Amino acid sequence: MAEVAHAEVGHGDAHDDHHEQSFWSKYVFSTDHKIIGFQYMFTGMAMALIGGYFAYVFRMQLAFPGNSIPFWGTLSPAAYNSLVTNHGTIMIFWVAMPVLIAAMGNFLIPLMIGCDDMVFPRVNRLSYQIFLLSAIVLIISFFVPGGGFGGAWTAYPPLSAKAEYNSTPFGAPLWLIAVTLEIVAFLLGGINFITTTMNARAKGMKMYDIPMIVWMIVIASILFMCSVGPLIAGAVMLLFDQTLGTAFFDAAAGGDPVLWQHLFWFFGHPEVYVVLLPAFGIVGEITCTFARKKLFSYKLILYSTIGLGILSFFVWAHHQFISGVDPRATYLFTTTTLLISIPVAIIMFAYIATLYGGSIRFTTAMLFGLAFTGEFLLGGVTGIWLGSSGVDIYLHDTYFVLAHFHYTFVPIAIIATFAAVYYWFPKMFGRKMNETLGKFHFWGTIIPFNGIFIPLFILGAGGQHRRIYNYQHFPDLAGADMQDMRVFATISLIVMLAFQLVFIANFIISLKKGEKAGKNPWKANTLEWITESPPPHGNFGETMPTVYRGPYEYSVEGREQDYWPQNEKPESEPS
Amino acid sequence: MAGHNHPSYLKIYITLVILFIVSVAGPEVAPAFGVFAKPIVLLTAFGIAIWKAYLVCAYFMHLKFEKIYAPYILLACFSLLFVFFFGTATDAMFANGHNWVKPVSEEAAVEEAKARSYVLHGSHDDHGEDQHDDSDGADHDDDHDSGDKEH
Ligand code: HEM
Ligand SMILES: [Cu+2]
Repeated sequence: MAEVAHAEVGHGDAHDDHHEQSFWSKYVFSTDHKIIGFQYMFTGMAMALIGGYFAYVFRMQLAFPGNSIPFWGTLSPAAYNSLVTNHGTIMIFWVAMPVLIAAMGNFLIPLMIGCDDMVFPRVNRLSYQIFLLSAIVLIISFFVPGGGFGGAWTAYPPLSAKAEYNSTPFGAPLWLIAVTLEIVAFLLGGINFITTTMNARAKGMKMYDIPMIVWMIVIASILFMCSVGPLIAGAVMLLFDQTLGTAFFDAAAGGDPVLWQHLFWFFGHPEVYVVLLPAFGIVGEITCTFARKKLFSYKLILYSTIGLGILSFFVWAHHQFISGVDPRATYLFTTTTLLISIPVAIIMFAYIATLYGGSIRFTTAMLFGLAFTGEFLLGGVTGIWLGSSGVDIYLHDTYFVLAHFHYTFVPIAIIATFAAVYYWFPKMFGRKMNETLGKFHFWGTIIPFNGIFIPLFILGAGGQHRRIYNYQHFPDLAGADMQDMRVFATISLIVMLAFQLVFIANFIISLKKGEKAGKNPWKANTLEWITESPPPHGNFGETMPTVYRGPYEYSVEGREQDYWPQNEKPESEPS
Repeated sequence: MAGHNHPSYLKIYITLVILFIVSVAGPEVAPAFGVFAKPIVLLTAFGIAIWKAYLVCAYFMHLKFEKIYAPYILLACFSLLFVFFFGTATDAMFANGHNWVKPVSEEAAVEEAKARSYVLHGSHDDHGEDQHDDSDGADHDDDHDSGDKEH
């Protein structure tokens, strides 16, 4: 437990104690926030491979229904449902959450606010261990008798509540247990993010000197904490319905299936902002660094984010417009849904305004950052259409909705994540990633991404419902023109997946052979760039940094350099 | 935390027990007080519950000794509870959906559509096309199926 004691006692002298750690205590049972960040990141990436593979299998089924699928075989309807369900679950709970919040939060927060570790390192370690357990439970659920749960990632009862309906007597409860464990893990993580940011900042770092991404992760953690209670309660109730014979959601016995939808979406909508905010944060940092410009309207962005967070608790029923909720409630929820696009738009415009007049450097990280801004815009705008209840009556549960949220989630969980990896890789591992391969990977990701989802918008608007095994059974949807679009989307997906091999190769090669990065390869201002790459245990060595200014002082007039690190002493001040 | 002057937790505990006894006894004896029965039940059952909750939050949850934002966070959570309840009440309290008047015309439309789907099936099997234009998607599928089965 020596390393635990260390983070709670001052760090200075404790460092030398553990030069000879075994592999296990250094990488597996570590309490170092950076290692825990890596654990989250690599677990998330591994889960992304599984989720991507599932997408490949069910897209193949949709494009070539009934044919044998390479690397899978013939796909049964039950397996199709299970794959779709677990694809969604994995991508949201086991990829976006761990990589964007947990990995970035763990790695970046202590470094960016200038402290040596999280304030509760053991809680932090427990958080990852529970997360890992949840991932294992989920994976086990694919192999139990009856197979993995297939009632969609939203798990609406009655389908999810009774084994006689969903025919996954073990898969369904395991799925719920896995999701609940995962949530526990993120609650533990969130406590650390919030407390560390509030209490452990470097000397001189005032509230408005905190880098935007740290704010975003903190606000996301608060949103998560405030929204997740109903889901946990609902999950336990649903588990009881499944296993103990209660009837919380069983209309026949006096329960209410729509109550689950409320419990789920009261969490579900804030949850989309939980993953969105860190992505916004990442893109904000990258945009400033590579446009060499001060972040446009820091305070406005911050307050918009808080407003967005508050509003996000008032919109959930826009997912239930046609679930039989009170029609009068739809007025209310349409209004709030349209309102919430205002803060989102403010943040987007602030990023675009940051670019204005900058000297933009098109590094791979910046390309991904710009792509995020552009692609997310499409997702957000289509969300506004769906938020109007009248339009949604037609579009609900079609591929239009599916394309909408993929235009939000892919920019968040894929594009912004890649931006972050290309940007912070030098800090994480001490070497830069290869830029040529990076750009190759960038175009190979962005173009097919649009190739997948633009056809799906059209198909959805044409009435193609979601969660259907074989459209050839529906005369209205079986036409050749529609099938062509499905094939096009599937081929685009395969191309996109293939290009991820370029990323994996680049990652591995750069780990070993990448150009040495030095402390501050991008000439950025925030505190993580003043220490070694990779940062040592304890982060900043003997003296902890002192902060003199905000994080975005780029291209300040009258200075020789176009950046101004947060910890650099002002000349006026005697040393 | 040493600087704070904590009250004796035992005292708080005893207060809670006494309050608990009052809150159980109150509703028991209330009927004897005639017209005052209702207010007495409300006060002893709910009023005292709120007081007890306050004591638990303030002392056992330490909110009285935390920085000021901690109680605000708790209050924020309460307001979220309220938001959730408010947004859900309109249908969760009426699980059968009779919280809003079901227009007769709607039922009539469903019947009509059903009738039409028989007709369509009787004549041809290029069903669908016509229905699409004038009936809404969700109901339409069901009608189809039932139509199919009955043939
Ligand atoms: C301007 C912001 C947004 C608005 C106005 C909006 C609006 C909506 C609406 C009204 C729906 C329901 C459509 C239906 O089911 O008929 C929906 C679905 C969805 N949205 Fe958004 N959205 C926005 C941003 C986002 C973001 C940022 C994300 C993800 C990070 C997201 C993820 C989703 C998901 C996952 C669904 C589908 C859930 C399901 O049924 O499986 N949305 N959105
Ligand atoms: Cu939503």
